Amino acid sequence: MQIISFPNEEVGKGDYLTVEDFKTGKSLIVQVVDIQYANIPGIFEELLRNYNGDSSLQGEDIDPFEVATHVAYIQDARLLVCKIRATNINGDMVFTSSWLPSRSRAVIRKLPIERLFASAKNGNGYMIDLGETNEKKQFQVDVRALDGGLNIITGKKGTGKSHVSKLLTLSLVTHGAPVVVLDINGEYTGLGRTADGKPNDLHEKIHILTPKQNFKLNLGEFKIRVMLNILVNALHLPGTSAREFGRIWRFLDQNNALNMRELGEAIKNWKCNQHVRDALFSRYYTLLNSGLFTDEPSKVASFEDSIHKARVGGAIVINLRDTSTVDRHVLVEYVLGKLVDLLTAKKLRAIFLFAEEAHLYLRETYWDDIVTRMRHYGMFTTFVTNQPETIRENIYRQADNLFLFNFTNDHDLETVSRASKVDADTVKSVARDLPPHHCLVLGKIVNDFPIVTKVRKLDVQTMGHTRLFFSEIHPLSNHLASM
Amino acid sequence: MNAQYPITTTPKYNFPLPEENLQLPLDFIEVSMRSLKHMKPVKLTQENPTSFHQIPKKQTTLNPTTVLAKLKADPTKIPIVAMDVSSIRLGETEKGILIALRGAIVWKQDTQYRYLRLGPFPFHITNKTQLEISSLFRKHRQTIRIQKHTIPNIFYLQTRLTTLLERWIQSSVNHTTRRSLILWDGSLTAGTPETPTRDMAQLLEEARIRKNTILAFSKMTRLLFNGRRLTNLLSDHEPPCIMRIEDNTLYEGPMHLMGNIYVAKLTRGSLAFRMDVDKQVPHLHVVESVQKLLGNDVVLQSYPETLRLAHIFSTFTAIEVLGIQRCLFKEKNLKILAKPNVRRILFGPFGKGLEG
Repeated sequence: MQIISFPNEEVGKGDYLTVEDFKTGKSLIVQVVDIQYANIPGIFEELLRNYNGDSSLQGEDIDPFEVATHVAYIQDARLLVCKIRATNINGDMVFTSSWLPSRSRAVIRKLPIERLFASAKNGNGYMIDLGETNEKKQFQVDVRALDGGLNIITGKKGTGKSHVSKLLTLSLVTHGAPVVVLDINGEYTGLGRTADGKPNDLHEKIHILTPKQNFKLNLGEFKIRVMLNILVNALHLPGTSAREFGRIWRFLDQNNALNMRELGEAIKNWKCNQHVRDALFSRYYTLLNSGLFTDEPSKVASFEDSIHKARVGGAIVINLRDTSTVDRHVLVEYVLGKLVDLLTAKKLRAIFLFAEEAHLYLRETYWDDIVTRMRHYGMFTTFVTNQPETIRENIYRQADNLFLFNFTNDHDLETVSRASKVDADTVKSVARDLPPHHCLVLGKIVNDFPIVTKVRKLDVQTMGHTRLFFSEIHPLSNHLASM
Repeated sequence: MNAQYPITTTPKYNFPLPEENLQLPLDFIEVSMRSLKHMKPVKLTQENPTSFHQIPKKQTTLNPTTVLAKLKADPTKIPIVAMDVSSIRLGETEKGILIALRGAIVWKQDTQYRYLRLGPFPFHITNKTQLEISSLFRKHRQTIRIQKHTIPNIFYLQTRLTTLLERWIQSSVNHTTRRSLILWDGSLTAGTPETPTRDMAQLLEEARIRKNTILAFSKMTRLLFNGRRLTNLLSDHEPPCIMRIEDNTLYEGPMHLMGNIYVAKLTRGSLAFRMDVDKQVPHLHVVESVQKLLGNDVVLQSYPETLRLAHIFSTFTAIEVLGIQRCLFKEKNLKILAKPNVRRILFGPFGKGLEG
């Protein structure tokens, strides 16, 4: 649907309008997805004639009726390209567009977001303040819409993805949900502190697990399935050797000797092919030298204990910063395996997993696992990435909520537009012009009405700053300047 | 005998301030406003732009002889001023017609063009308001004695008002310039109700007194010479050149030619134009003037740029028509409705040509 708008009417991309046809008692709810200049007859001639960049042609007008203001008004008329989102039939919202209002009779008005949500019969449940709308009004969403869902937060670098991810994490924690964050850049480690470094209200509920420091693994916590996943998927152990490792593991388990020292001894003394032994030894030393394992579990925090603490509201931030690729794979295999174990054993009701740049540590087979099997166990994942093509198409299609920040690259927009929650035109047109910290929210969380919001500021310590070379004046540069 | 050197002041064009000498536009505005004042909210019937009224003209055959003059651009500085007036019919109301007028003056100063646009002036011409418009004529045209029974049809008042504004602008420019080339759009034909002979004679005389030379370019002419269209006479001649058509007194009826008719082919290309110059201006002076025009103005397709700009600035674009209509809608609650196209209704897709 295309609507003409004049310069005094403030309408932005993403705004909602109602097209009311009083005679029929119906109104269309449409969203502005693109704004263009209206193609008015004669506009080209008018612009050419009045082009005043050429100093060789200047003059003045005696315009007693001030027609020029009317001409300028028409010149600046805009065409609002809108998408029909719903039909309001006597107060009932119908998500179809089989009816069109009268062109001549219909009255077009701006529809404030809060009224849209009121008319969409939005619940009052667990509301969180996400930010503000284009009308500078507070924009709240029901956090329960994240429950049981698959979410994607994406946008180009520096647009505010991690910010909204942190906001959702803290909101979930506030409402008593357990959250695990796979923090690739150590950005979430300040979640428990205010911007000036003081502990905030949720300080006690934010558990930072830094591998090799307060987070080490103990073989006793492992199930053989998880360990084999690490060896096969992260350390590429061949199948024959994996089978032999299984026998060693079961032997140690039966003898209650599952620790790194005993594992090394067992591999050393195990009767097997020398090539198999060599293969097992090489993986064993990789694990041993990673520093991730300890035989003294009492000295470090147990992941299971942390999860236990977070059961009634808390976030466990796995700080993957400064870890090698192999270590990251090992840790993620362990964490995901452990979570699945806890969920299947019903020790944990559900968990919200936030995975930043998951392609850096998630093995191929996990993607489908996360969106299908693990979701049924109660693991609800939010992927955060600035490289949308690293997330598979089927994940976009199954995503329940999408928090989309600015993209200018056509290829990125094409990838993101595969999300089933909205039409490609809306994504491509609106996302392209989103300012920093503004996001297009799509999906269940906004009752399937795409909403543009400015994400609110958080009073948490920001850890995601890139270290810059020129951030401080180097003494040498002072010296050079004075020369 | 000592000859006196022909010392003259450097030609300089001092264009008047817009406030000066604006008696007629103020009247225009007043009459225009009054014409709209009594207007009740009406529905304006918008016309198909192709259906604008055209007054048919008879083709006139001349029996002249010709004088050809080859030209060479003369860079001697001379101010060049051009003017043009446009009118457009915005539509019909139940009581009359709504029109808008606008005039433009363009002049060349050194290498720069300057312009002054007057208008648009919207008029609602009805049986009531035409009396006021007629009194406007009487006030400014002492030569015209419009009797009640000779009051023009409201549909012809558009042409009358347009000419009135054009003549005023021409007169204003005449009064404020000296030793300049003044370019008009159209011919020096007089004797019509809009342009009485005395008015035209007065304008030409003022020009002569102030040493101005008026060159009137017609974009279209219906005059024939030996069965050939006048503008085709120079198709075999190398430009720039002009051809004077002598013995051009064969206009019938009240129409009177106040100027000599020339055909001007000033540049290469397919176009040549009829150019009228005051009969009392010697041929040699015309040649010199056109040579100065060539030396001082940009001439493309045999048409001077100054005059081209005047035309461009006076004409109404589609968006301006919308702007005027919006202005009238805001001020007078005027609503636009498309006039039913009788041809289209009767003949469907075969209903071409002017709206019936």
